[in-house]
Amino acid sequence: MMKEKRELVSVPGKWDISFNYAAGKTVSHFLAQIRDNGRILGMKCAKCHRVMVPPRSFCERCFVPAEDWVELGDEGVVEAFTIVHDVFEGSPPPPYAIAYVKLDGADTALANFVDGLDLSDISEATQRLKIGARVKVEFASRREGRITDFKYRIIG
Amino acid sequence: MARNVAIVGIGQTNYTTLRNDVTYPELVFEAVTKALSDASMSIDEIEAVVFSLAPTSLVGVDAMERWCIDAVGAKGKPFMRVNTGGATGGSAAQAGYFHIASAFFDTVLVVGAEKQGDTPDTQLILNQIWDPRFERAVALNAINMSSFQAVRHMHKYGTTEQQMAMVSVRDHKNALNNPHAHIRQAVSLEDVLASRVVCWPLKLLDCCPRSSGACAVIMASEGRTRKLMQRPAWIKGIGATTNTYYMGDKMETEMFNDHGDWDELALAAEHAYRMAGISNPAKQIDVAEIYGPFSCLEIAAVEALGFCPKGQGGKFEEQGFFNMTGELPVNPSGGALCSNPIAVTGLVRVAEAALQVTGRAEGRQVNGAKTAVATAIGGSLQFHTAMVISANL
Amino acid sequence: MDRRVAIVGIGQTRYETGKTESLDEIAFEAASKALADAGITRDEVDNVVIAASDQLDGRPISSMTLACPAGGYLKDEVKASDDGTLAVVLACLRLLSGVFHTSLVVSWCKCSEVPTAKVTNLSFDPFFHRDLGLNHINALSFQVNSYLSRYPISEWVPAKIVVKNRANAMGNPYAHLVEEVSLEEVVQSPIVCPPLRQLHLPLECDGACALVLTTRERVRLTTQKPVWISGLGWAMDSYYLGERDLHQLSSVAKAARQAYQRAGIKKPIDEIDVAEINELSAYHEIMAYEALDFCTPGEGYKLVEEGSTELTGKIPVNPSGGALAASPLFAAGLVRIAEAALQVRGDAGERQVTGVRTALAASCYGICAQGSSVFILSQES
Ligand SMILES: [Zn+2]
Repeated sequence: MMKEKRELVSVPGKWDISFNYAAGKTVSHFLAQIRDNGRILGMKCAKCHRVMVPPRSFCERCFVPAEDWVELGDEGVVEAFTIVHDVFEGSPPPPYAIAYVKLDGADTALANFVDGLDLSDISEATQRLKIGARVKVEFASRREGRITDFKYRIIG
Repeated sequence: MARNVAIVGIGQTNYTTLRNDVTYPELVFEAVTKALSDASMSIDEIEAVVFSLAPTSLVGVDAMERWCIDAVGAKGKPFMRVNTGGATGGSAAQAGYFHIASAFFDTVLVVGAEKQGDTPDTQLILNQIWDPRFERAVALNAINMSSFQAVRHMHKYGTTEQQMAMVSVRDHKNALNNPHAHIRQAVSLEDVLASRVVCWPLKLLDCCPRSSGACAVIMASEGRTRKLMQRPAWIKGIGATTNTYYMGDKMETEMFNDHGDWDELALAAEHAYRMAGISNPAKQIDVAEIYGPFSCLEIAAVEALGFCPKGQGGKFEEQGFFNMTGELPVNPSGGALCSNPIAVTGLVRVAEAALQVTGRAEGRQVNGAKTAVATAIGGSLQFHTAMVISANL
Repeated sequence: MDRRVAIVGIGQTRYETGKTESLDEIAFEAASKALADAGITRDEVDNVVIAASDQLDGRPISSMTLACPAGGYLKDEVKASDDGTLAVVLACLRLLSGVFHTSLVVSWCKCSEVPTAKVTNLSFDPFFHRDLGLNHINALSFQVNSYLSRYPISEWVPAKIVVKNRANAMGNPYAHLVEEVSLEEVVQSPIVCPPLRQLHLPLECDGACALVLTTRERVRLTTQKPVWISGLGWAMDSYYLGERDLHQLSSVAKAARQAYQRAGIKKPIDEIDVAEINELSAYHEIMAYEALDFCTPGEGYKLVEEGSTELTGKIPVNPSGGALAASPLFAAGLVRIAEAALQVRGDAGERQVTGVRTALAASCYGICAQGSSVFILSQES
């Protein structure tokens, strides 16, 4: 066979599938309360008494339905965090901070962006954003019924 | 009780970002032929196939396993794909084990491949894994998921960025001895600490590369194994635990499973150890292959596996306990920090552990290793598998 | 298999389009119902096997959010892909190994949330087939045309299958399409891809199905009548359609041979009392009769013409209405096992076939039934 230079080809492709994720009754109510009343609700399991947020219509540990809404405080404590300094396709331009916060009255922590911190100096930022730090929920003035309708802000 | 099952053949490609010279099934075929030749078997002797493939969005063809039927010689044969996210390779190995332990088959091929080099941004896909109603909108991905683990471990036990960096230094050093490893370049503690911050506290050199490559493992029943070879690697124990999706559920003050710890892995290991008759893992395990795609995760893993007390993983790392010359070498292969072909990373751990206990690990061999443990991790750090592999039945 | 693994719990949601519950809620509903049906709690389950398609679920690792709703919290849980029935296969292997004792098996699908044909188009390789716009529906016509060129049966034969399955579904409270159709309506329904018409095809919908499986030793711990898995088999065919014998369901034949051998079945038509088949189209039900060895190749139409597979026939097929009446695509095969088990138990209500001792459930999955699994379910001997 003749020796020839073989080229390697890549065929471009993109997965472009739309979804309509049904949020279900429970999460729909939660998102509507955020949008309409600026309230964050948790769901309490009647069996283990955990107050869960994100709320669910059942407790996966006790494996029973859950239906007791509990209003949570608009402050809470940081349980985990990160400061993102790299660019990721589809994510906001860096830097930004994300924290898991246990809102007052909840047993579980809820993730969201942290606002109002100077993230350019990491060691300074981590003096304020740390586990145990208290935060306040700040709602956007125009809300769409999405989790990003609010952010956390470090208090003090 | 379960029939005895051995690993009788192993095939690995080299791991690298791009494999533009082959299609996905061709990549799979490379590992299959290597494993068959390692076991001195023909494809006709394989009775069933388990396919190890995690998100197909990483490889761009949905149900990609179905394209591989001919590459794995499965036409007309029993075939199933197992998919538990990052833990897929560990779960597939266990599914293979059950194919034989159940007495349904005498031989099974467990195989898969990753070709994430075909997609430009793995972390975009690993953002889509989150609940569209909650975490997806908050820009989560697999890296910041691990950052949350790291900061909780640091907070609870005083683990430091330096200790995490030492994990990376050790893995990179070990990978120099592994011809299949993706990253074969030594790094210093200073290099790791000075590398750019990705998701604090994780820096670039605390993170795994995006690897493509394939791995195949052939398993056989005791009867078939005796006819095939002198030095098989026996699967002595298996275990797996699934935890909640919600990372925020693992941040309660008084509870056993904390996102910072890997108590789920401890449960999985406990099951595997019990089957294998291991009561003192730190003494009875000679080498470990741990799926830790981020440095901080290996620290949680060595604690969960019972190699050191909870919270002491960082300190033990500092003391060189897990180095090649230490008491309990971890990741002689360089681990997931130096090669992370996601679909098979867990299977590679099993393969490497089997090579170790049969004395076939060449330049990365741990002297006299007879018993090893291999782990895998997936989802929101929620799927854990453990497998004990030994030279002795 | 000597009756060592039994189905002791069955849970199904209603199969309907546009369910407003979220995916995790549907999985939880089916899992809870199966546990309740078995008369046990999650505490008595030592392992969970789920099966789902990430792409149909719209999440690259769908078990992240679904494993625990399906009962997996702090259990040994694993996910199979390709088809809901493979979760039953894997659960059987796990139980027969002696390592585990009681499995919860769950699968689901929510076709209303996702353009299914677009997803299955992505399962075609990007070099040769994807650009041709193939999907799981239009590819079926290759198969049917190839069958018809060898065995030219009249269009009234598949029409009779549709009429039968739709009528059967009237007795199934879980089927969402409870509406009878006439032969004329079938042959006049819009052409999708010749010769397939709209009414020849499954109606894709939403739903979940769950089973509890346990070993002979543990059966007494449940309150339910055990349905024994006396045989199973599963097999795959080649990927490229051009390499297959499209006129026959080769994977079904291979899987059936394994299942019959394990169950010691020699003459299926005489030994099986009822069958539930995940028919990919009305024509495929006929092709399945042949692959399952209910008759010789090309003779499937006779069973239809004789009425042998009707509710009162010699071997009723799809008393539930089958996939033509309700197909939660990925979970449709698992639903067949659930329905076959209800038949063996005698709990199939209005759709009960009389005197069922042995039932068959068959699933087809992948493009043109690339894969198949077949189960034989039996009463205590
Ligand atoms: Zn509870």
